[in-house]
Amino acid sequence: MERRKTAEEMSAAEIGEMLARVRQGDTDAWGELYQQYAAAIFRFCRRALPTKEDAEDATTEIFVKVKQKLGTYDSSRPFTAWLYKVASNHCWDSLRRRRIRQDLETGDLETLPLEHPDPNQLEQLQIDHTSKEVRAALGKLPDRARMALVLRYYADMSYDEIADTLGVRRAFVGVLLLRARHQLRDVLAEMMPGARSVAAGGTS
Amino acid sequence: MNHFDEMTALLYLEGQLEPDRAREVYAHTAECRECADLLRALQHEGIWLREALGTDEEPVPARLLQAPERKTPWGWIAALGLSAGGAYTVWTGIIDPWRAQAAQSGFTQGSLLTMLFFSGTFWKGWDAMRSLVEFLSMSTLTIVVSWVLRRHWRRLTTTAGIIVGAMLLATFALSVPSASAAETEHGHPNYTLAAGQTVPTDLIVFAERTTIDGDVDGDVIAWSQLVTINGHVKGDVICGGQNVRINGTVDGNVRAFAQSVDVIGTIGRNLMTWSGETNVEDKASVGGSVTFGGNDTTLAGKIGGDVLGMGNSLDVSGTVGRDLTVRGDHLNFDSTADVKGRVKYVGKNEPEIAQGAKMGSFVKVIPKHGPEYAGWHFYWHRILLWGVGFVFGLVLLLVVPHFYADATVACKNYAPAAGFGLLFLFATPIAAVIACITVVGLGVGIATLLLYLIALYASTVFVSGFIGEVILGPAVGTGAMIGRLALGLFILHVLRVLPYVGGWILFIAIFWGFGAMVMAIYKRLRPQLAGGVPQPLAASRV
Repeated sequence: MERRKTAEEMSAAEIGEMLARVRQGDTDAWGELYQQYAAAIFRFCRRALPTKEDAEDATTEIFVKVKQKLGTYDSSRPFTAWLYKVASNHCWDSLRRRRIRQDLETGDLETLPLEHPDPNQLEQLQIDHTSKEVRAALGKLPDRARMALVLRYYADMSYDEIADTLGVRRAFVGVLLLRARHQLRDVLAEMMPGARSVAAGGTS
Repeated sequence: MNHFDEMTALLYLEGQLEPDRAREVYAHTAECRECADLLRALQHEGIWLREALGTDEEPVPARLLQAPERKTPWGWIAALGLSAGGAYTVWTGIIDPWRAQAAQSGFTQGSLLTMLFFSGTFWKGWDAMRSLVEFLSMSTLTIVVSWVLRRHWRRLTTTAGIIVGAMLLATFALSVPSASAAETEHGHPNYTLAAGQTVPTDLIVFAERTTIDGDVDGDVIAWSQLVTINGHVKGDVICGGQNVRINGTVDGNVRAFAQSVDVIGTIGRNLMTWSGETNVEDKASVGGSVTFGGNDTTLAGKIGGDVLGMGNSLDVSGTVGRDLTVRGDHLNFDSTADVKGRVKYVGKNEPEIAQGAKMGSFVKVIPKHGPEYAGWHFYWHRILLWGVGFVFGLVLLLVVPHFYADATVACKNYAPAAGFGLLFLFATPIAAVIACITVVGLGVGIATLLLYLIALYASTVFVSGFIGEVILGPAVGTGAMIGRLALGLFILHVLRVLPYVGGWILFIAIFWGFGAMVMAIYKRLRPQLAGGVPQPLAASRV
């Protein structure tokens, strides 16, 4: 029996043909599309949203949106990039809706100066922590910082796409990423017994 | 070149620097070990982050890996079932008894909207207004159906076309007002229709004293200090004034708003009064029912139908053809009183029933405050009403999710929400009524009033959503929001049935939620904020 191809193994033409069938209302094609991408979207949501339950709900909701918005997809662009864009918009909307409910405690942080890192300690931090710990630390970051890191280093989005998703100016994306990295370092450092900061002193 | 900062290093690694600046950084790195170390550490950090984020240690839930199936939505079926039951309860428990009561009082039209506007008898303009309301209702329904069908438009063109076409036809048919003719008279200062004279149409009179000695083939509508009907009116008599006397014959209904109403003659159908004193004298006859609200009422004549009323005291010495239901402080039956049907009296004092008075049966009910907590019906009805609220909330959540979220969030600002709520709770209907008075604003006014009623109900939904979030924490995703709504509604329904405080809790929830809605609407209408505001709040994306 022929093994079903994964999303990575499918050519652009095959994906295009599958999408055309979905647009025509072919439920089998929709099921196929869902199975191809559900896991990837769940993994993305798992990183972008705070809990597993949130990620599961979001995955289902994202596919509902995908079905609704499929007509707006420009087939000259990669489908995966478009899919991640829909997913990231959805996740950020969810987070933003929740953020409004919380006090904007991160507002003041944006203006705080960042301490210059010590390269050695920074590398030591990378050695000391497993991927699992990094992901756990990621969950403790403020929504925007976590989202920025996930969009850049997981979904591989460009600065323009990140700016568009998070609703910030493009020039601010670099600042956002740097601050997010600092926050991640601080959280990881606090997780270590006898925690100490990776800062070398001075500010950048 | 001086040492570069971490920001520059990051932008260099990410390929975001201008080419000239990037070359400077590159050249400096070759000379400066300190900066080269920083660059290397950051580069490793980037790789390390990608690896850490890309590692999959958690399995994807099995349910997500399966192709979406059409599962039986038991939750939805249950909620819809409950809501249908709730709607049925509202209909049978509130609307239908009210309809029956109104029908008993002579409002026999089948349509609820027609009932609302008294069959056009108070004012002929009600007909046009009723048509407008029906037109608005049908238009709204048409829009909702079109919205629901929009996704299937291509595939269901014929079906959708037929449905929408039929609705438009119905709208058009309902909106065609019927022509009516009436003669309007202004007294100088008095008006008298002399005996022997006949008005072939309706007669509308504004005068200090109105006396009808002649005949009127249509209705008589009179606003006078003293209205006296000595002649024969074939239609209805609708009048307001200080004193109303019916000495002659009215074939239709009499509806009077006056300080005192005296009936000495004959009324073919029903009598409805809202007055300080109502007397149906011993020679008087009312073919249908008598409905009254007022201080003192005496029924000495012959009444063919039911008697329904409330007031301070009721004296019965005549005949009542059917049931008598009264709520008041004093009820007296003379020895000549004869009620063929059942007598139901709701009041604290014992009724005085003279020897010889006749009645089919007698029931005295001591008025109770608050609901019947002991019966299971009460709790079942609460569950059904919860279902109504839940489905209404679901519709709001799914149709206008952002507005729902905004209004729920706005509930957090207790004080402004309560303040705006109180203000708009009273100001909106006043503004709508003022709009109704002007001909141009009639549609706007009525639409506002209808929306106001919907908004009153919706306000409790938003408060419920907020209560749910306070208990379970902020919601992410529709599923979580639905769960919080269900819980919040449940809590609000429980609080509402508490004796004494339940009503106040509901009132607070209404104006609190109403204010939150006002704030959410304001948020949407206000101009976009300029820079300086935290980006995620100010940002808007398509």
